[in-house]
Amino acid sequence: MLLQLNHIYKWVKQGGKRVFLLNDISLDVKEGEFISIMGPSGSGKSTLLNVIGMLDEFQEGEYIFNEEPVHSLKEKQRAKLYKEYIGFVFQAYHLIDELTVYENIETPLLYKNSKSSERKALVADMLDRFNIVGKKDLFPAQLSGGQQQLVGIARALIAKPKLLLADEPTGNLNSKQGEEIMELFRELNQEGVTIIQATHSESNAAYGNRIIHLLDGSKQHQTSN
Amino acid sequence: MLRNYIKIAWRNLLKNKAFTIINLSGLTIGMTAVLLIAAWVQYQMGFERFHTHEDSLFKVYNRSTGPGEIYTWDVTSGPLGAALEKDFPEVAQSSRIYWSKDRLFSTGNTHIKAKGNDVDNAFLSMFSFPLLQGDSAHALDAVNTVVITEELAIKLFGTADVINKMVKIDNEDTYQITGVLENLPANTDFDFDYLVSLKANENLYSNNNSWSTNTFYTYVQLKPNTAVDEFNHKIKEEIKKYNAESETEIFLHPIKKWHLYSRFENGKVAGGRIETVRLVGLIGILILVIACINFMNLSTAQSRKRAGEVGVRKVIGAGRSSLMLQFIAESVLLASIAGVLAVLITIVVLPAFNQLIGSSVFINWLSPWLWLGLGVFILITGLLAGSYPAFLLSGFSPIKAFKGNFKKRGCVFNSRKVLVVTQFSVGIVLTISTVVIYNQINFVQNRDTGYDINHLIEIPLEGDIDKNFELIKNELLKNGAIEAMSKTAFGVTSEASTGSGFSWNGKSEEDEDLSFSLYRTSGDFVQTMGLNLIAGRDINLAQFPRDSTSILINEQALKKTGITDPIGKTIKRKDLTLTIAGVFEDFIIGSPYEEVKPMIVMGYKNYNYNTLLRLNPNNTTQKNLGLIEQVFKKYNPAYPFVYEFVDKSYAKKFADEKQMASLSFLFAGLAIFISCLGLFGLAANMAENRAKEMGVRKVLGASAQHVARLLASDLLKLVVISLLIASPMAYYIMQDWLQDYTYRVAIEWWIFIGTAAVLLIITMLTVSFQAIKAAWVNPVKSLRTE
Repeated sequence: MLLQLNHIYKWVKQGGKRVFLLNDISLDVKEGEFISIMGPSGSGKSTLLNVIGMLDEFQEGEYIFNEEPVHSLKEKQRAKLYKEYIGFVFQAYHLIDELTVYENIETPLLYKNSKSSERKALVADMLDRFNIVGKKDLFPAQLSGGQQQLVGIARALIAKPKLLLADEPTGNLNSKQGEEIMELFRELNQEGVTIIQATHSESNAAYGNRIIHLLDGSKQHQTSN
Repeated sequence: MLRNYIKIAWRNLLKNKAFTIINLSGLTIGMTAVLLIAAWVQYQMGFERFHTHEDSLFKVYNRSTGPGEIYTWDVTSGPLGAALEKDFPEVAQSSRIYWSKDRLFSTGNTHIKAKGNDVDNAFLSMFSFPLLQGDSAHALDAVNTVVITEELAIKLFGTADVINKMVKIDNEDTYQITGVLENLPANTDFDFDYLVSLKANENLYSNNNSWSTNTFYTYVQLKPNTAVDEFNHKIKEEIKKYNAESETEIFLHPIKKWHLYSRFENGKVAGGRIETVRLVGLIGILILVIACINFMNLSTAQSRKRAGEVGVRKVIGAGRSSLMLQFIAESVLLASIAGVLAVLITIVVLPAFNQLIGSSVFINWLSPWLWLGLGVFILITGLLAGSYPAFLLSGFSPIKAFKGNFKKRGCVFNSRKVLVVTQFSVGIVLTISTVVIYNQINFVQNRDTGYDINHLIEIPLEGDIDKNFELIKNELLKNGAIEAMSKTAFGVTSEASTGSGFSWNGKSEEDEDLSFSLYRTSGDFVQTMGLNLIAGRDINLAQFPRDSTSILINEQALKKTGITDPIGKTIKRKDLTLTIAGVFEDFIIGSPYEEVKPMIVMGYKNYNYNTLLRLNPNNTTQKNLGLIEQVFKKYNPAYPFVYEFVDKSYAKKFADEKQMASLSFLFAGLAIFISCLGLFGLAANMAENRAKEMGVRKVLGASAQHVARLLASDLLKLVVISLLIASPMAYYIMQDWLQDYTYRVAIEWWIFIGTAAVLLIITMLTVSFQAIKAAWVNPVKSLRTE
């Protein structure tokens, strides 16, 4: 078991009343799974991903990641945990505009204090694998959306995470580019990376081997492919 | 990693060019100001510090208790130095200095007036004024020997290689040049082109051996490791030993303190230039703080743009400390660039700065300390300026950062606003102070001097002028160059000497120690000066030889002494009986900031060193001066014709205040300018942050004018708050500053209104550009960004 959510509640107070963002969510994720979270805008997909990614907190419930009780960890320990095991892919790519493709991919390794030679090798592998060697000295603004998202994924994978969290990874892309990204996810998953993605699109969701449907913060039902 | 930070920092600076330029110029100007101030402060602190014996050199001061006050002065009697040397083994050597004298140096056809001192021969071994040629220990041993500076040597002979050459001094005696001095450094209060031996010319000073007359400055060098406080206690009564009548005590004032601590109150050091140095230093720190605040403000204003980056970095593994390091690296980089620019600008503007404040500040660019200090300074500026944005930006949680949802709502004391208010308050205090200082100068400059200061010139009474005085006068009156001419003790704008111990009929107990300004003339003084005579007549020794015991007094003296019907009445001093010949209306001699003291002008044939001439106003000045030069050349051919306009010498009395005014004007301007740069950046940022709001307002029907006003008024409010805070502060500070002047201006309300008006206009101009730009944006554009 990679991670386990038990009865997670998250709410905000609005006019004295609780508005639930996550309402009694329980979820088990095994290593090697590819899970799609579906639901309309505001259903809590992003919030759930952020909670899993330990970027956001929750008020009630238990969260066990890799046998560590996340709910009782301190901020610093949580940060350490997600930095080691989780990679993030965003709808808006969130590349650093001032850095080149190469440097964007390299940055997580810098924060891990990897050796220079090791960094070079790993980044070169990644560029090679995603066929973007020729673009390595370009800045994000010089790339198409699909290429930017490729860089975003490369960056998420460079530190070899166990879990890849993708929030609407194709939301800003056209359908062809989107399909390519999804194919890539499938490949990655087959290589053993656990993936959880949030998506609007039925066809993208279908890449997952399990689909979780959310509405107003509650889990509606779950389908398996 | 650091390389990575610097790379990113560099790219960020290039990307936000407007931001970088505003920020960089603010920081550069601030640092330039600080560099200039630091250089000036260091220059002031460095006076007399180059002497090898700086720790053991002292000036001897007198201290005497008068009524209700202890007087302190630095002119001593002739034998004091030698006596100290003889009586106390702690004294290594001593030297007297006779006050500065202008003498005429002649060689062949070259005649040059040079300023210099008569000193004892120990002078050159006590003070570090090295000789390029000659032997310091013995250069001034013999009679008629002179040591001159390289500069004077070149002026006289065209070469510095002048050892053992002969030069004629004051057209009388021939002196041998026994040494060539290196030119004096800028940071000394000594001011001489030549030195002649005092001992060798002993016969020149009639009161050389008198214990009761104070004529010389006395300097001593103590042996190393002498406890000065203890020693001061020991020598206190030295004068009494030789002159039982005297109540005067002596003490030593260390060389290191001469320049900065020269004011004494009640026998103790009370300050002096150090106060200005401290004030200017404080201003320097304030300017730097303003520049740093600017930096912080603009950087935090950028936070919206940078927040996304912070979020990403956090998600991909950046810790808070590494983010802080990144932002600090960025600000240190910017500070370094600003530092380099500031150094370049400082090099370029230093001469202009010196001219503006009338100093000769120099920077030793080869000193390793300078560069070390500069490095530390840049680092501190960078840290100071970068720490707040670093803290703020690195504190964003990634989720909030992505949403751009990091505005604190409902917080009255928005820190950025506080920073802007602080900044402007400093600028406003400086501005108001500048206006008050200028006002005070103007006020005193416009004070009625009591005499006709125009068309009045002074020529030193030297060479054969005294002998030929009447001939010169008659010839000048005949050719119409002058209206009147008078021999006087010294220049009418210099500080008058004072004296007490006068008595008169009806003198009361409380007048016991009434002190008078004393002055001497040979005649025609009232006429030449253009004074208003209230009673009696002018002194005229040529016409009335008995006028050698006649005096003129001023109105103040009449009032203070209480003498009625003064003409013919007498005033006595010891065995001297003086008859009042005339009373004139008060005129300013000495400081124009003080009240006029009671004054006595005595009829004296000798001991006059100044010629006062009233030019004929019907001729052009040029014609008058031409005629006068001809006559003076004829009767005093050995001396070059030099003259000074009295109104110009009078204007010099305002030099210190003008320097102060220039400094505060300069730095007030800079402070306001830097603050406006910050405001400009802030306005730009505000317009950007509120673009959506403005878009919505426009869609709802707001006019461009309305939107612009909305944006501008927010920032104007800050300036108004600054005005409210700073005005009373400025009032208080200036009220305190004015206390030093007896004759002073009142702080008028219009200064505050005027400052406020000007500042608000400047602010409007600064802000409106951004506001109008924002107001004209098509709302479709600003709403599309979401």
